[in-house]
Amino acid sequence: MATVTLDKVNKQYENGYHAVHDLDLEIADGEFLVLVGPSGCGKSTALRMVAGLEDISTGVMKIGDRVVNTLSPRERDIAMVFQSYALYPHMTVAENIGYGLKIRRMDKTEIRRRVERAAEMLELGPMLDRKPKQLSGGQRQRVAMGRAIVREPQVFLMDEPLSNLDAKLRVQMRAEIGQIQHDLNVTTLYVTHDQIEAMTMGDRVAVIKSGILQQVGAPQYLYDNPANLFVAGFIGSPPMNMGMGRIIRHGEGLGLRFGSRTLALTGSVLTDHPSLGQWVDRPVAVGIRSEDMEDAGVLREAAAPDSTLVATVGLTEALGSEIVVHFDLDVPPVENEETRALAEDSGADDTGLRSNGTRFVASFAPRSRVRIGDQIEVVVDVARLHFFDPDSGLTLKG
Amino acid sequence: MSTEAMLASELRDTSHGSGQSGHVVRLGSARGNWFRRVGWRHVVGVIALFFAIFPILFVVSAAFNPQGTLSSSTLIPRDASFANFDTLFSETSFWRWFANSLLISLLSAALSLFISAAAAYAFSRYRFRGRRAGMLFILLVQMFPQFLAIVAIYLIFVEISELYPAIGFNTPWSLILLFLGGALGVNTWLMKGFFDTIPKDLDESAKVDGATHAQIYFGIILPLVTPILAITGLLSFISTMSEFIISSVFLTEDSAKTAAVGLYGLISAQRNANFGVFAAGALIVAIPIVVLFQFLQRYIVGGITAGAVKG
Ligand SMILES: Nc1ncnc2c1ncn2[C@@H]1O[C@H](COP(=O)(O)OP(=O)(O)OP(=O)(O)O)[C@@H](O)[C@H]1O
Ligand SMILES: [Mg+2]
Repeated sequence: MATVTLDKVNKQYENGYHAVHDLDLEIADGEFLVLVGPSGCGKSTALRMVAGLEDISTGVMKIGDRVVNTLSPRERDIAMVFQSYALYPHMTVAENIGYGLKIRRMDKTEIRRRVERAAEMLELGPMLDRKPKQLSGGQRQRVAMGRAIVREPQVFLMDEPLSNLDAKLRVQMRAEIGQIQHDLNVTTLYVTHDQIEAMTMGDRVAVIKSGILQQVGAPQYLYDNPANLFVAGFIGSPPMNMGMGRIIRHGEGLGLRFGSRTLALTGSVLTDHPSLGQWVDRPVAVGIRSEDMEDAGVLREAAAPDSTLVATVGLTEALGSEIVVHFDLDVPPVENEETRALAEDSGADDTGLRSNGTRFVASFAPRSRVRIGDQIEVVVDVARLHFFDPDSGLTLKG
Repeated sequence: MSTEAMLASELRDTSHGSGQSGHVVRLGSARGNWFRRVGWRHVVGVIALFFAIFPILFVVSAAFNPQGTLSSSTLIPRDASFANFDTLFSETSFWRWFANSLLISLLSAALSLFISAAAAYAFSRYRFRGRRAGMLFILLVQMFPQFLAIVAIYLIFVEISELYPAIGFNTPWSLILLFLGGALGVNTWLMKGFFDTIPKDLDESAKVDGATHAQIYFGIILPLVTPILAITGLLSFISTMSEFIISSVFLTEDSAKTAAVGLYGLISAQRNANFGVFAAGALIVAIPIVVLFQFLQRYIVGGITAGAVKG
């Protein structure tokens, strides 16, 4: 077991492309850290630098107390699971799993013992004599895991190990990998572009965009306190709703002009965001999570008009435990470099720009009876609004 | 169901595609279908077989015909005997020639396989300065047949024979040395193409597992390229076995000759007369090639990399 420390690590490829910028990351002993970001943001590059498969351009990489910048992969005592699994096709499952041990000239009986234990853990027992091509995708995935486990390395490195599995198997393997990592307590760096994987598996999550680290923290912390628009939009499903608003004076205190409505920023909002006073009469980017909105119709007492938005329901999805409601709000979309990166990542058509507003998604209690085409009042939990500087994309501090 | 209908449905199921279409086909058209889909291949096969077997029959017949001429041959000689073989073994150094041929072919095939596989691996996996230029250079050199350079080669080996007679004219080593360079280009290109199809992830995975370059090359990559190794090995064995022009320049002493050169000597001396003996020798020379083919056949089946990565 060991910590992994990246200190201002950079990667510039031979063709000049700067894939990773000044990456600072510290993975604690036994921690499961997930590196997440859109496609092409440099996640694999970062992981491969830890593995020693890619040179480090500048910066210091440490595993434990050792600086490993110039060490070859075999000297780093790491194990890696590839997206393609990279099983050796001419070897049986047992040989595949034991290969790394055989290379290290480990005693044959000890190899057999470890392989069998790993096989048992992964329920591969009956398949030890098969060749990889005689296995299903999920089984191959397990063999790849087994190959990493038997080595008992200092660090596990995994590059999108689940992306070739179908959705159901992915959920199952997600849990299994989490369990195994927890049982073995091996420091793990896990790369994925799937934020759900990141949220469910990681002790901590590091969000990266275009080679630049955006924020690191526990999943729930990132969800509740995103550092910028990118993290806000990337973490969470459905993604955070965003629109442009304007801070105004409202009664005694402040209000948020949001489309045709004004939301009173009451109570804790101002104590949580004291700096909002400086934003009066200036546009701000506003983020609202889907669960922080509710159908006014299901509330006991009538909501005050300055705590609700109005909209026409465009689409409903009843999930049983909640109803997901899509509607267009008459607010301008947030448009800057970060939201564009998000739209690109989700492969979104311009849903945000369609019609004359911005599409919002809210999850209502199942008691709600809204139908497509209904005019609804949406109560907003203003205490849980997120405010961002529309130019820099950063969360308003203080 | 009548037998005819059963037959029809069976044919439908075995022939590709039509089984999926699902509608019932009448027997007559099923037969027509069968011929269009499968039957014509048999016809082509039979024609090809006939075409290929004719010269073989001819040589076999000549070998067992004691007359020793080609023109008088009927397909099955009237008084078949081993007379030609007796002559071949007793009056010529055939076994010596045969051994020379085998030695030269086996060694140069094995060595050139080893060298070109290593070169192909380097070209496929490493990025180094001069990589593209190197590959182009090999290809360019390869475009000219070796015997174009025969004068230059001859002059070089005149010197070598004087300085180091052990690898000079009339030794198998001179030819092996020459042939090693000969097929390097084509083999390297062929193999590089094949190496490129093996996912780089396998190398990297082995590297992370702790394997050295040599362990990756011999333990992971080579076993996966056996089909191309078998093919290139076989091709270079065959071409060396039947090589004539350069060998005849290099090998003039009777005891140093290869089978091709030696056998040619039999018919060049007194036209026509020794064709029976020549045919007998040719038959024997063909044996190792056929055996090797049979032995390597199962390796010359691709698809061994299937299952390496996700399927
Ligand atoms: N060998 C290379 N030479 C030059 N540029 C490269 C090289 N490998 C990757 N890149 C570039 O570096 C960037 C980051 O690549 P990387 O593979 O790390 O992305 P990723 O985050 O893993 O994406 P994905 O989720 O699609 O796997 C990409 O823009 C890619 O084009
Ligand atoms: Mg990647």
